[in-house]
Amino acid sequence: MILTALAKGSTHGYGIITDVEKISDGRVRLRPGTLYTALDRLCADELIGVDREEIVDGRLRRYYRLTPAGAKRLSTEAARLQAHATTALTRLNLAGGIAT
Amino acid sequence: MTDQANLERAYRRLLVCYPRAFRQEKEEEILTVLMACSLEGQRRPSLAASMDLITSGLWMRVQPCVPRSVGAVRAAVRLMYVGAAVTTLSLILAIFSLAYRGRSAATLRLAGRSQSLLVAITVGVVGGLVVISLWLWMARENGRGRNWARILSTVLVGLATLHLFGNKGLVEVVFAMLTWLIGLAAVWLLWRPTSSAFFKPRSVTHVGYNA
Repeated sequence: MILTALAKGSTHGYGIITDVEKISDGRVRLRPGTLYTALDRLCADELIGVDREEIVDGRLRRYYRLTPAGAKRLSTEAARLQAHATTALTRLNLAGGIAT
Repeated sequence: MTDQANLERAYRRLLVCYPRAFRQEKEEEILTVLMACSLEGQRRPSLAASMDLITSGLWMRVQPCVPRSVGAVRAAVRLMYVGAAVTTLSLILAIFSLAYRGRSAATLRLAGRSQSLLVAITVGVVGGLVVISLWLWMARENGRGRNWARILSTVLVGLATLHLFGNKGLVEVVFAMLTWLIGLAAVWLLWRPTSSAFFKPRSVTHVGYNA
């Protein structure tokens, strides 16, 4: 979800939290500690990187962006989920048109 | 002092749970996010936010900082954490078992036997805690690419092999075999040709902050 949030462009920590909440229809609200543990791991795996820093109202904002490896990972994962969803919907249709 | 200043000070105190290197780089940035997430008039962190920062900070201190590219070492470090968990479980079971026996002894008014069981429990707990600490220490140091830790891990597995023959009960034997196999697998992974480059001395710092 963090990678999805960053797919629209570089974003800062709070922006990622609000975007993930929006993407998940309010079901996922990342806490800052959890977010930064995940960001740290994603940076270590070179899936994301720091884009730039800004000082807003005296506070530091660091913007993160997807790296090419991160974009590739997200694309692969999205294709996998899409294939899974397509299979599920097709089977439901075949089973009696539950999905419309 | 204003509510904001109080809250910020409380958050800074919680951020001490994180490794120093991480705080130097990210403290101000996380504070920005924490303050942005806070409610109007909030004076202290919520319990959930506090727990999140404490657990995340402590995890960051112990998490293996092995790059994904060194899969064998990552797997070995994970196995060591599994070893620590299995040892913890066996320690808990041993304590319950000894305590049950101790209660039976007390019922039978065998004061001397009860005393010796108390000593056995104490020794067992201390010994178990030492073994758990060794698992965690080895996981941490191998995760940092310390070659001495790789050698020490191998020696410890060798010592555990000797310990295998000293167990009597079935449960003891099962747990001893299980932890020994975990250790053996971890050591095997640490000595894979793909792992060796990770343990060579180098000037570049590993990823992660717990070094």
